[in-house]
Amino acid sequence: MRNSRDMTIVPLPATIIGRKALSADTTLYRLALESSEEDGFDFNPGQFVQLSVPSGGEVPISLAGPPRHQNSFELCIRRVGHVTDMLYQLLPPNRVGIRGPFGNGFPFSEWAGRNILLIAGGLGIAPLRSLLYALLMQRGEFGEITFMYGAREPSAILFKEELAELSGRKDMHLFVTVDFTKEESPGGLTCNTGLLPTLLRGVNFSTTDTVAAVCGPPALYKCLLEELQDLGIPAAHIYLSLERRMKCGVGLCCHCAVGDLFCCSDGPVFRYSQLKGISGAI
Amino acid sequence: MARNLLKRDSISFFLEILATFGKLHGPILTDDGVLAFRPLGSGNDLLLEYSRTLVPPKKYLLPPRDAVLFFAPDEWYHQLAAAVPETILVGLHPCDLQGIAYLDKVFLGDRIDPLYRARRTALTLIGLSCEPDENCFCGDLSATETHGCDLFMHQSPGGFNLKDNTPKGTAILDRLTPILAEGKSLPAVSRTCDMAAAIQLASVRSETHGESALWDEFAERCLSCGACSLCCPTCYCFDIREYGALDGESTVRLREWDNCLFKDHGEVAGGFNFRKSRQERFQYRYRHKYLGFGPTRGIASCVGCGRCRAVCPVGIDLLELFKERQDEKQP
Ligand SMILES: Cc1cc2nc3c(=O)[nH]c(=O)nc-3n(C[C@H](O)[C@H](O)[C@H](O)COP(=O)(O)OP(=O)(O)OC[C@H]3O[C@@H](n4cnc5c(N)ncnc54)[C@H](O)[C@@H]3O)c2cc1C
Ligand code: SF4
Ligand code: SF4
Repeated sequence: MRNSRDMTIVPLPATIIGRKALSADTTLYRLALESSEEDGFDFNPGQFVQLSVPSGGEVPISLAGPPRHQNSFELCIRRVGHVTDMLYQLLPPNRVGIRGPFGNGFPFSEWAGRNILLIAGGLGIAPLRSLLYALLMQRGEFGEITFMYGAREPSAILFKEELAELSGRKDMHLFVTVDFTKEESPGGLTCNTGLLPTLLRGVNFSTTDTVAAVCGPPALYKCLLEELQDLGIPAAHIYLSLERRMKCGVGLCCHCAVGDLFCCSDGPVFRYSQLKGISGAI
Repeated sequence: MARNLLKRDSISFFLEILATFGKLHGPILTDDGVLAFRPLGSGNDLLLEYSRTLVPPKKYLLPPRDAVLFFAPDEWYHQLAAAVPETILVGLHPCDLQGIAYLDKVFLGDRIDPLYRARRTALTLIGLSCEPDENCFCGDLSATETHGCDLFMHQSPGGFNLKDNTPKGTAILDRLTPILAEGKSLPAVSRTCDMAAAIQLASVRSETHGESALWDEFAERCLSCGACSLCCPTCYCFDIREYGALDGESTVRLREWDNCLFKDHGEVAGGFNFRKSRQERFQYRYRHKYLGFGPTRGIASCVGCGRCRAVCPVGIDLLELFKERQDEKQP
């Protein structure tokens, strides 16, 4: 049996067509699937792919760019270990393997008419960037759009130029904060100092009929979720994307269960109300 | 009266005929005194009365280590059709048959796993009735004693009453007819077991025993050796690893048995662990075993074979959780 065309089982080859350093350890990759019969690679923001680096292995990575972008798509990847180190050695036009897309993604078509608050911490900006672009592509359908992003320090801010551009848009609000600063503030970008929950308390945005989407490290969820509810956003309107160890992406390997839900196939995006009674979920 | 009775003195003919359908495997006692499913013949004698093998028959469907993908620069990632020989597995107890039926649900459900399917298709299952010992608690879990097996051997005073359940089984039974005697068809037996019933109930009610003090007690004693999941006929969670070959170019991707009681099972890059404590890992095992995850939600996968209780070096028995609950109800 040669490559069966089932993209859930066999990684298809994708060529690295672009590579851009975003910070000391994080790189944005643009990939193009080689299979010409594939008419585009469509996905929902919040979904992820399983990325293979031959002889390294496979890791789950969120789709970071706008959906419906013909045959190419973007991944924003931090170098943290075995597979991501090997990926870092690759340059255009090297090839990687792609399975997916997997998972549910954010159900943003249900949010028409609502105000939308996106909160990203650190690398959590990857899926929320995808979501933001999807929302902006259909800007007219939603109420106020607010994007909050927190990074450790100015040099860790990802997508600086894009954020500077977005900050000039009249149809959305952008707030960026860093945990601490010892360097000069990043060029062209107004930046607060303090943690995201502090930012949340300090700025004005609509909290009625608002949907929030949050993505970041576990520590962020712990302090932010209660805060959002205190502001009047009900748990059923707070969406968060969870990270778990994943090996298969299709609900077989059994590493990623959260309560009785699989993070890979029932998630990775959950409503906070789904997770509330589950110990260890957040 | 039908010709369906296999007399004990015809067993060797029976095995000879079966061997024409594929390679025979069954329970034997190994030289080092372990009950195991092994190829039969050349000194490996089939046991028709045995308690339970150490390693369950899942190894035929999900080998401990299985190459799932190959990579070569000019061929990219590809699957190789596994050459799976026709195998006849004789002497499976109802609990093990039910274990396989559960794995079928997982690996041949919404998403068919091609390797599993290839192995499953090449496997003929011949069931065997059994008598429970002190570690078993299959009860009604095995009321439908034949659980998708091709042929079932029901022990009776005269020998074994054979019953075919699938076209494969019928084909085998047809070939066996010349060596069979006339026998009565036996009534279906129903076995009741309080423990099995308690587990079913817990599963229906999503009972987590969250408040029980037993979790701490288990966690204190457990060695995280993983024997309980390794020997469980329905534990199937796996890790995926990829290894480069010495040529520096080709690669094989392996699927290997993993274990939810191992510390790194819930660990992600950067060292954050979603199940750092033993309690959390035990509760994860409990949930998967008795309540189910994802598509198997609400399905108890414990088939009552008793292996985990029999092998745990420190005598941990999750059934104590259910017993505790029963005791509470009977003051
Ligand atoms: C839904 C989801 C979305 C994610 N999105 C992103 C994203 O957009 N960007 C991003 O940077 N990160 C993302 N991550 C995290 C990312 O998956 C991890 O950072 C990545 O798995 C790290 O892999 P590593 O091998 O570099 O690190 P390591 O820490 O070396 O290994 C991580 C895992 O790989 C296993 N492993 C080690 N060696 C091998 C081997 N030889 N073969 C196979 N496995 C091996 C380890 O056991 C461990 O489980 C996401 C995770 C999830 C679950
Ligand atoms: S949990 Fe124990 S008794 Fe139940 S099927 Fe697994 S090994 Fe057998
Ligand atoms: S067999 Fe016993 S000691 Fe070993 S991991 Fe299981 S419960 Fe712990």
